[in-house]
Amino acid sequence: MNIEVDARGQACPKPVIMTKKQLDEVTSGVITTIVDNEVAKENVSKLATSMGFSFEVDQMDGDEYRISINKGDIKIESQVSTSSKFKDMTIAFASDTMGKGDEGLGKILMKSFVYTVSESTPYPSTLIFYNCGVKLTCEGSEVLDDIKKLEDEGVEIISCGTCLDFLNIKDKLKVGSISNMYTIYEKLKDPASNIIIG
Amino acid sequence: MKREIYGLITFKSTHFALQGEVVFKDNNIVFKTIPTPREVSHSCGLALLFMVDDIDIVKNIIEKGLLQIDGLYRYTKDGHNSSAEKIL
Repeated sequence: MNIEVDARGQACPKPVIMTKKQLDEVTSGVITTIVDNEVAKENVSKLATSMGFSFEVDQMDGDEYRISINKGDIKIESQVSTSSKFKDMTIAFASDTMGKGDEGLGKILMKSFVYTVSESTPYPSTLIFYNCGVKLTCEGSEVLDDIKKLEDEGVEIISCGTCLDFLNIKDKLKVGSISNMYTIYEKLKDPASNIIIG
Repeated sequence: MKREIYGLITFKSTHFALQGEVVFKDNNIVFKTIPTPREVSHSCGLALLFMVDDIDIVKNIIEKGLLQIDGLYRYTKDGHNSSAEKIL
Protein backbone atom coordinates (compact mmCIF):
# COMPACT_ATOMS: atom_id res chain seq x y z
CA MET A 1 0.00 0.00 0.00
CA ASN A 2 1.28 3.48 -0.87
CA ILE A 3 -0.09 6.51 0.90
CA GLU A 4 0.88 10.10 0.23
CA VAL A 5 0.74 12.75 2.95
CA ASP A 6 0.90 16.31 1.67
CA ALA A 7 2.25 18.35 4.57
CA ARG A 8 3.37 21.34 2.54
CA GLY A 9 2.49 24.63 4.19
CA GLN A 10 1.96 22.93 7.56
CA ALA A 11 3.68 24.38 10.61
CA CYS A 12 5.77 22.27 12.99
CA PRO A 13 4.85 19.78 14.42
CA LYS A 14 1.91 19.15 12.03
CA PRO A 15 3.91 17.23 9.36
CA VAL A 16 5.11 14.80 12.05
CA ILE A 17 1.61 14.35 13.49
CA MET A 18 0.12 13.78 10.01
CA THR A 19 2.81 11.22 9.16
CA LYS A 20 2.52 9.42 12.47
CA LYS A 21 -1.26 9.17 12.09
CA GLN A 22 -0.87 7.43 8.72
CA LEU A 23 1.89 5.15 10.00
CA ASP A 24 -0.31 4.12 12.91
CA GLU A 25 -3.25 3.38 10.62
CA VAL A 26 -1.53 0.97 8.21
CA THR A 27 -0.14 -2.41 9.14
CA SER A 28 2.46 -2.23 6.39
CA GLY A 29 3.24 -0.15 3.33
CA VAL A 30 5.00 2.97 2.23
CA ILE A 31 3.99 6.38 3.54
CA THR A 32 5.37 9.27 1.52
CA THR A 33 5.24 12.66 3.20
CA ILE A 34 5.84 15.81 1.18
CA VAL A 35 7.16 18.79 3.12
CA ASP A 36 8.42 22.21 2.11
CA ASN A 37 11.14 22.95 4.60
CA GLU A 38 14.28 21.37 5.97
CA VAL A 39 13.23 21.27 9.64
CA ALA A 40 10.06 19.35 8.75
CA LYS A 41 12.17 16.95 6.64
CA GLU A 42 14.51 16.37 9.60
CA ASN A 43 11.63 15.86 12.02
CA VAL A 44 9.73 13.43 9.80
CA SER A 45 13.00 11.52 9.23
CA LYS A 46 13.57 11.38 12.98
CA LEU A 47 10.05 10.07 13.50
CA ALA A 48 10.83 7.22 11.08
CA THR A 49 14.11 6.47 12.83
CA SER A 50 12.54 6.54 16.28
CA MET A 51 9.79 4.14 15.13
CA GLY A 52 12.40 1.82 13.64
CA PHE A 53 11.33 2.17 9.97
CA SER A 54 13.68 2.67 7.06
CA PHE A 55 13.14 5.71 4.87
CA GLU A 56 14.42 7.55 1.84
CA VAL A 57 14.54 11.29 1.27
CA ASP A 58 14.29 12.84 -2.20
CA GLN A 59 14.82 16.54 -2.65
CA MET A 60 12.40 18.01 -5.15
CA ASP A 61 12.33 21.67 -6.17
CA GLY A 62 13.99 24.07 -3.75
CA ASP A 63 13.14 23.21 -0.18
CA GLU A 64 10.56 20.56 -1.08
CA TYR A 65 11.29 17.02 0.10
CA ARG A 66 9.59 13.64 -0.26
CA ILE A 67 10.24 11.31 2.65
CA SER A 68 9.23 7.74 1.88
CA ILE A 69 8.89 5.63 4.99
CA ASN A 70 8.68 1.88 4.62
CA LYS A 71 6.62 0.37 7.41
CA GLY A 72 6.99 -3.15 6.09
CA ASP A 73 10.62 -3.18 6.86
CA ILE A 74 11.29 -3.00 10.57
CA LYS A 75 14.87 -2.11 11.24
CA ILE A 76 16.48 -3.89 14.15
CA GLU A 77 18.86 -1.42 15.66
CA SER A 78 21.94 -3.04 17.00
CA GLN A 79 22.31 -1.65 20.46
CA VAL A 80 25.96 -0.98 20.83
CA SER A 81 27.05 -1.40 24.38
CA THR A 82 27.65 2.10 25.65
CA SER A 83 29.96 0.80 28.39
CA SER A 84 30.49 3.02 31.37
CA LYS A 85 31.00 6.19 29.37
CA PHE A 86 27.29 7.03 29.46
CA LYS A 87 24.53 6.76 31.98
CA ASP A 88 21.01 6.24 30.67
CA MET A 89 19.93 9.67 31.80
CA THR A 90 18.38 12.78 30.31
CA ILE A 91 19.00 16.26 31.63
CA ALA A 92 16.36 18.77 30.57
CA PHE A 93 17.09 22.49 30.68
CA ALA A 94 13.85 24.45 31.01
CA SER A 95 15.54 27.80 31.42
CA ASP A 96 18.85 29.57 30.94
CA THR A 97 19.03 30.07 34.70
CA MET A 98 19.37 27.46 37.42
CA GLY A 99 16.43 28.18 39.66
CA LYS A 100 14.29 31.29 39.78
CA GLY A 101 14.62 34.34 42.00
CA ASP A 102 17.76 36.20 41.06
CA GLU A 103 18.70 36.19 37.38
CA GLY A 104 22.40 36.92 37.89
CA LEU A 105 22.72 34.15 40.43
CA GLY A 106 20.66 31.77 38.26
CA LYS A 107 22.93 32.37 35.27
CA ILE A 108 26.17 31.86 37.16
CA LEU A 109 24.80 28.67 38.75
CA MET A 110 23.81 27.38 35.32
CA LYS A 111 27.34 27.95 33.99
CA SER A 112 28.72 26.13 36.97
CA PHE A 113 26.25 23.26 36.49
CA VAL A 114 26.90 22.74 32.77
CA TYR A 115 30.66 22.81 33.37
CA THR A 116 30.26 20.16 36.08
CA VAL A 117 28.21 17.93 33.74
CA SER A 118 30.92 18.27 31.07
CA GLU A 119 33.61 17.29 33.57
CA SER A 120 31.85 14.31 35.16
CA THR A 121 31.64 10.76 33.89
CA PRO A 122 29.59 8.81 33.13
CA TYR A 123 28.03 11.40 30.83
CA PRO A 124 24.25 11.69 30.49
CA SER A 125 22.93 10.14 27.27
CA THR A 126 20.87 13.19 26.29
CA LEU A 127 20.56 16.90 27.01
CA ILE A 128 17.27 18.56 26.10
CA PHE A 129 16.74 22.30 25.93
CA TYR A 130 13.34 23.93 25.88
CA ASN A 131 11.65 27.25 26.66
CA CYS A 132 14.44 29.77 27.47
CA GLY A 133 16.79 26.81 27.97
CA VAL A 134 17.39 26.93 24.19
CA LYS A 135 19.40 30.13 24.72
CA LEU A 136 22.12 27.85 26.10
CA THR A 137 22.63 26.12 22.73
CA CYS A 138 22.58 29.33 20.69
CA GLU A 139 25.07 32.01 19.74
CA GLY A 140 26.05 34.15 22.72
CA SER A 141 25.70 31.31 25.23
CA GLU A 142 28.54 31.16 27.73
CA VAL A 143 28.30 27.38 28.00
CA LEU A 144 28.57 26.56 24.29
CA ASP A 145 32.05 25.05 24.58
CA ASP A 146 30.96 22.75 27.41
CA ILE A 147 27.91 21.58 25.45
CA LYS A 148 30.04 21.13 22.31
CA LYS A 149 32.49 19.04 24.31
CA LEU A 150 29.62 16.82 25.48
CA GLU A 151 28.37 16.50 21.90
CA ASP A 152 31.86 15.49 20.75
CA GLU A 153 31.88 12.83 23.46
CA GLY A 154 28.67 11.39 22.01
CA VAL A 155 25.97 13.01 24.14
CA GLU A 156 22.81 13.75 22.18
CA ILE A 157 21.94 17.47 22.24
CA ILE A 158 18.37 18.42 21.39
CA SER A 159 16.78 21.87 21.25
CA CYS A 160 13.05 22.47 20.99
CA GLY A 161 12.17 23.83 17.54
CA THR A 162 9.01 25.57 18.71
CA CYS A 163 11.04 27.43 21.32
CA LEU A 164 13.81 28.49 18.92
CA ASP A 165 11.14 29.65 16.54
CA PHE A 166 9.20 31.57 19.20
CA LEU A 167 12.35 33.31 20.45
CA ASN A 168 13.37 33.96 16.84
CA ILE A 169 16.82 32.38 17.27
CA LYS A 170 16.51 29.31 15.02
CA ASP A 171 19.39 30.58 12.85
CA LYS A 172 21.55 31.10 15.95
CA LEU A 173 21.65 27.44 17.01
CA LYS A 174 25.29 26.43 17.43
CA VAL A 175 25.21 22.90 18.81
CA GLY A 176 23.07 19.78 18.48
CA SER A 177 19.88 19.32 16.53
CA ILE A 178 16.34 20.67 16.49
CA SER A 179 13.50 18.45 17.54
CA ASN A 180 9.91 18.40 18.67
CA MET A 181 7.68 17.48 21.59
CA TYR A 182 7.52 13.80 20.57
CA THR A 183 11.26 13.44 20.98
CA ILE A 184 11.29 15.53 24.14
CA TYR A 185 8.65 13.29 25.71
CA GLU A 186 10.40 10.10 24.55
CA LYS A 187 13.70 11.26 25.97
CA LEU A 188 12.09 12.19 29.27
CA LYS A 189 10.03 9.04 29.70
CA ASP A 190 12.44 6.38 28.48
CA PRO A 191 15.70 6.82 30.40
CA ALA A 192 16.36 5.17 33.72
CA SER A 193 16.51 8.62 35.23
CA ASN A 194 16.06 12.22 34.30
CA ILE A 195 16.80 15.58 35.83
CA ILE A 196 14.96 18.79 35.02
CA ILE A 197 16.91 21.98 35.57
CA GLY A 198 15.40 25.38 35.19
CA MET B 1 45.19 12.24 29.18
CA LYS B 2 46.31 15.75 28.45
CA ARG B 3 47.76 17.74 31.32
CA GLU B 4 46.36 21.24 31.44
CA ILE B 5 47.49 24.10 33.63
CA TYR B 6 45.28 27.07 34.44
CA GLY B 7 45.03 30.01 36.78
CA LEU B 8 42.17 29.91 39.27
CA ILE B 9 40.72 32.46 41.65
CA THR B 10 38.30 31.84 44.46
CA PHE B 11 36.13 34.34 46.31
CA LYS B 12 34.82 34.92 49.80
CA SER B 13 31.28 35.35 48.53
CA THR B 14 29.17 34.75 45.44
CA HIS B 15 28.73 38.51 45.01
CA PHE B 16 32.49 38.89 44.66
CA ALA B 17 32.48 36.07 42.10
CA LEU B 18 29.84 37.89 40.03
CA GLN B 19 31.88 41.07 40.35
CA GLY B 20 34.98 39.10 39.30
CA GLU B 21 33.24 38.05 36.08
CA VAL B 22 32.60 41.71 35.25
CA VAL B 23 36.23 42.69 35.95
CA PHE B 24 37.52 39.81 33.79
CA LYS B 25 35.19 40.75 30.95
CA ASP B 26 36.23 44.42 31.19
CA ASN B 27 39.87 43.34 30.91
CA ASN B 28 39.20 40.95 28.02
CA ILE B 29 40.47 37.95 29.96
CA VAL B 30 39.16 34.64 28.67
CA PHE B 31 37.72 32.72 31.61
CA LYS B 32 35.22 30.15 32.66
CA THR B 33 33.04 30.20 35.76
CA ILE B 34 33.25 26.85 37.50
CA PRO B 35 32.24 25.34 40.82
CA THR B 36 35.19 25.72 43.20
CA PRO B 37 37.24 22.52 42.92
CA ARG B 38 36.94 20.29 45.99
CA GLU B 39 40.65 20.57 46.77
CA VAL B 40 40.24 24.34 47.24
CA SER B 41 36.80 24.12 48.78
CA HIS B 42 37.02 26.47 51.75
CA SER B 43 35.57 29.51 49.95
CA CYS B 44 32.40 30.37 48.09
CA GLY B 45 31.09 27.82 45.63
CA LEU B 46 32.21 29.60 42.48
CA ALA B 47 35.64 30.17 41.01
CA LEU B 48 37.02 31.65 37.81
CA LEU B 49 39.33 29.54 35.67
CA PHE B 50 41.59 31.28 33.17
CA MET B 51 44.65 30.73 31.00
CA VAL B 52 47.84 30.27 32.96
CA ASP B 53 49.53 32.87 30.73
CA ASP B 54 47.18 35.50 32.16
CA ILE B 55 48.26 34.93 35.77
CA ASP B 56 50.44 38.05 35.83
CA ILE B 57 47.67 40.22 34.38
CA VAL B 58 45.26 38.87 37.02
CA LYS B 59 47.83 39.43 39.79
CA ASN B 60 48.20 42.99 38.63
CA ILE B 61 44.42 43.52 38.75
CA ILE B 62 44.32 42.05 42.26
CA GLU B 63 47.18 44.31 43.40
CA LYS B 64 45.31 47.34 42.07
CA GLY B 65 42.47 46.34 44.41
CA LEU B 66 39.99 45.74 41.59
CA LEU B 67 39.28 42.12 42.59
CA GLN B 68 38.25 40.92 46.03
CA ILE B 69 39.61 37.40 46.05
CA ASP B 70 39.93 34.63 48.57
CA GLY B 71 42.81 32.90 46.81
CA LEU B 72 44.77 32.72 43.56
CA TYR B 73 45.95 29.28 42.49
CA ARG B 74 47.86 27.50 39.79
CA TYR B 75 45.40 24.73 38.92
CA THR B 76 46.50 21.54 37.17
CA LYS B 77 44.07 19.16 35.50
CA ASP B 78 45.31 15.74 34.57
CA GLY B 79 42.39 13.79 33.16
CA HIS B 80 39.93 13.56 36.01
CA ASN B 81 42.56 14.35 38.63
CA SER B 82 43.39 17.89 39.57
CA SER B 83 45.55 19.75 42.02
CA ALA B 84 45.89 23.35 43.12
CA GLU B 85 48.91 25.24 44.29
CA LYS B 86 48.25 28.49 46.15
CA ILE B 87 50.00 31.58 44.79
CA LEU B 88 48.20 34.35 46.72
